[in-house]
Amino acid sequence: MFKNFVKTAFRSLTKNKAYSFLNIFGLSIGIACASLIFLWVENEVNYDSAHLKKDRIYLARENQKYDTYVFTHSSTPGVMGPAIQAELPGVANTCRTNEGTQSLLFATGDKPIFAYGKYVESSFFSIFTLPFLEGNPATAFTQLHSLVITQKAAKKFFGNDKNIIGKSIRVDNKQDYIVTGVIKDIPANSTIQFEWLMPFQIYWDKSPWLKSWGNNSLSTYIELKPGVDPKTVNKQLYGFIQKHEPTSLLSHVFLFNMNDWHLYDDFKDGFRTGGGQIEYVRLFTVIAWIILFIACINFMNLATARSEKRAREVGVRKVLGANKKSLALQFIGEALFMSFVAGCFAVVFIMLVLPAFNLLVQKQLTPGFDNPYHIIGLLFITVICGLVAGSYPSLYLSSFNPVSVLKGIKLKDTGAAYIRKGLVVMQFTASVILIISTIIVYQQIQHVKSRQLGFNKDKLVEIPLQGDMAKNFNSIKQDLVNTGYIQNVALSDHAIIYGGNNTSGLTWDSKPPGSQVLISQRYVTPEFVETSGLKLLEGRNLTVTDTNAKPLNMLITQSMANLMGKGSALGKRVHGEGDTASAVVVGVVNDYVYGNMYGKPDPVMFFSTAPKNTELMYVRIKSQKEIEASLTAVQDVLKKDNPAYPFDYRFVDDQFSQMFQSEMLVSKLSRVFSALAIVISCLGLFGLAAYTAERRIKEIGIRKVLGASVSGLATLLSKDFLQLVIVSCAIAFPVAYSVMHSWLKGYQYRIEIHWWVFAVAGLTAILIAIITISFQAIKAALSNPIKSLRSE
Amino acid sequence: MIKITNLEKFYRTEEVETIALNKLTMEVNTGEFVAIMGPSGCGKSTLLNILGMLDDPDEGSYVFNGIEVAHFNERKRADLRKHNIGFVFQSFNLIDELTVFENVELPLIYTGVTAAERVKRVEEVLDKMQIMHRRNHYPQQLSGGQQQRVAIARAVVNKPKLILADEPTGNLDSSNGNDVMELLTDLNEQGTTIIMVTHSEHDARYSHRIIRLLDGQTVMENIMV
Repeated sequence: MFKNFVKTAFRSLTKNKAYSFLNIFGLSIGIACASLIFLWVENEVNYDSAHLKKDRIYLARENQKYDTYVFTHSSTPGVMGPAIQAELPGVANTCRTNEGTQSLLFATGDKPIFAYGKYVESSFFSIFTLPFLEGNPATAFTQLHSLVITQKAAKKFFGNDKNIIGKSIRVDNKQDYIVTGVIKDIPANSTIQFEWLMPFQIYWDKSPWLKSWGNNSLSTYIELKPGVDPKTVNKQLYGFIQKHEPTSLLSHVFLFNMNDWHLYDDFKDGFRTGGGQIEYVRLFTVIAWIILFIACINFMNLATARSEKRAREVGVRKVLGANKKSLALQFIGEALFMSFVAGCFAVVFIMLVLPAFNLLVQKQLTPGFDNPYHIIGLLFITVICGLVAGSYPSLYLSSFNPVSVLKGIKLKDTGAAYIRKGLVVMQFTASVILIISTIIVYQQIQHVKSRQLGFNKDKLVEIPLQGDMAKNFNSIKQDLVNTGYIQNVALSDHAIIYGGNNTSGLTWDSKPPGSQVLISQRYVTPEFVETSGLKLLEGRNLTVTDTNAKPLNMLITQSMANLMGKGSALGKRVHGEGDTASAVVVGVVNDYVYGNMYGKPDPVMFFSTAPKNTELMYVRIKSQKEIEASLTAVQDVLKKDNPAYPFDYRFVDDQFSQMFQSEMLVSKLSRVFSALAIVISCLGLFGLAAYTAERRIKEIGIRKVLGASVSGLATLLSKDFLQLVIVSCAIAFPVAYSVMHSWLKGYQYRIEIHWWVFAVAGLTAILIAIITISFQAIKAALSNPIKSLRSE
Repeated sequence: MIKITNLEKFYRTEEVETIALNKLTMEVNTGEFVAIMGPSGCGKSTLLNILGMLDDPDEGSYVFNGIEVAHFNERKRADLRKHNIGFVFQSFNLIDELTVFENVELPLIYTGVTAAERVKRVEEVLDKMQIMHRRNHYPQQLSGGQQQRVAIARAVVNKPKLILADEPTGNLDSSNGNDVMELLTDLNEQGTTIIMVTHSEHDARYSHRIIRLLDGQTVMENIMV
């Protein structure tokens, strides 16, 4: 019997080519889309899974209380790690590293290359799973100037050379390091990324500020012993800093498990919100199922719409002894077969589209058809699609009364027609919601991207200070200005666009007692204000002589001036912790946005400093000059004044754009998937319109004979479908409004939702539906009535 | 073989109730060839559907081979039907997606006959109906007469005790019609009971007995000599 079913299914498929194409094409796009999304989701969910001890690995995080909020830092005091290791019995291991990564210049022979990496304690190798291809983790850091590199870095530094262990490489043109280990490349979906590792001691020795309990500049990783409850350790950590440094701020350390680093890294007022990247994972999982469901709806609608074609077969089979169950199974089987064929095409689509998808999501995903889980996953999706798509048609078709269908009595289609209409409404509701969401996400991103930041990010180049650049700053600056391309040059200790050093341990005269406010401090050269495009609102700019002034002179931003009370801030003083140092306001500049592009501008203090204390050079290209030519000019100057280092630079507006990666990803993906959802919906609508036209062919014939016009008939046929799209809009609008309203609430700097977005989405859906239906409607209206009436 | 007593069937719409069969009583013996005639709407097809257990009566008794089946559920009716009754329709009702062979094979599949046995029996019956050479063709590739032969082959392949034929020559020209009637007569002579609904006096003459219906009741019976 099974063979007979397969035969009928296959022949029905090949006989009704247009129908099969619409179903299989729609379903395969749906399965391919969903599979791609699930590949991305798998990659996200499996973040850090390469680290075998991840259930026991924690990052020490620290809640610090300020006046109006609690901020959760990921940096902790430099002296905390060894103290935890010594005092807490549940801790197996701790490891301190510098926060983030650092870029250094590596030179083998005459080929200098930048590579990024971390300073780590040797416990790093045992806490994290980092397989050594060469060398020994136990002895890798016994010498101070040791270097462990990844496979990729090894290739970058030494090409195809073998026996790298023991080779020497000059770092930053200053010190030779010996390669003591080569480790397997880190998977791309690992939070910890680096090309090289060096002993933490080097970083410790050159950073004296790390030794204070009040300074938070390091990452502290903690490995608990097996079976130790993190809650117990958290209790011990709660007052750990105060125990060692009673004068320290009210701050509390807690463990943040590696399983949550990537997906749940969102804190508000000291508590995890349960959000983070996981929200996007959830969002796209839902979108994947919606797309699959839309594709399944096509199948259901087309199958029931063309049920008249199958009715006689059902009747005959019933007369010959088939019961309802066996027929239902037959139709489910056909749906599964169709879904399986669609699954095969989906595999082809996936292979074709994956490179573009990888570009879109900035990952190197592979289909992994050798991975049994992927095959099972794909089969699962295919089976689910087959079952969902076949469920309603099989019940509907198998319930036909054989007497009626064999007599050719027209089937009462009312119930099925309502369900079909309901399903079309669901499809278009989902599509309209996706269109609205896409527009609003796009608007929000554009809104933030066009935000006045308070400084001019365009044509501003950031160059990391390397070699003698700081020492030769004045001559470099002069040479750059002399090229005619450059307006000004400045130095800073922190990137202008990112957050950086900040403190809450400051007091001033009008500050309310007990108030805690986080204030950023930046060390810059006096040219910074002009170079960055900040505006001096009051007082004077910093000068070189301010560098050594006592008390220190400083520039502050407007919001800092507001904090310091009414009236001019000029001449007011700020005192450091324990009143050890104080600074006087000599000028006020406008507020500017940094760190969180959606947030309000936080207060900043600028101090004048010597070039040697800075990290970055900012070069302002003259507004009328070409970027390419200007960069060449800058490169020529740096080559002359700092010949040992390759030219390394980035544009501040690029850095700015990169701050919206998650949002950009959502925006791009939602655009792609909305478009696909609409394409799939339209495929279904196209098929449905065709069958409706076919069903009403006699009516059309009679109307034509009686004098109906082609346009009148086309309108008649399109009207019903347009009503459905309008109903979809009515459902989609409030849903989309509520979803997007709550999404936008997550951003302080956000757009208002405008009515016209809904109008555009609704009209787009209607227009697309009209185009889809009109082809069939006009074709039917143009048909010769004699033919249709004769066939009755 | 068949005994129906006071059989009633109504069709109801929202406003009208139509009586299709009105306390109809009749008997058909094993081996008989009975023709049912009457004007359109007299209840012929309704009667045939009830006899074929495709439909159930509202009132009355229907005894088939000594078993009361009037109120059997669908599953029991289907079971009894597939083992005992073959159908021949005016519009052939072959499945377009299946070949001649596969169409004829279908009833055997539903009664669970083994594959080897099915091939044997289908070939036998196709041979008998002289359409063996068309076994791999699809219905749309055949003439009307050939299609009805396939339909008859499908009706008899399970060796049913009863064949119900609903205007079997209605869609055929007279020559093909006669062929079909000859086939049915042959089957009857070999022992199969046949009940045939027809509008054609010519076809009815092939039967042993004509039952004439009007408004759901028997109005006359003619015994053919």
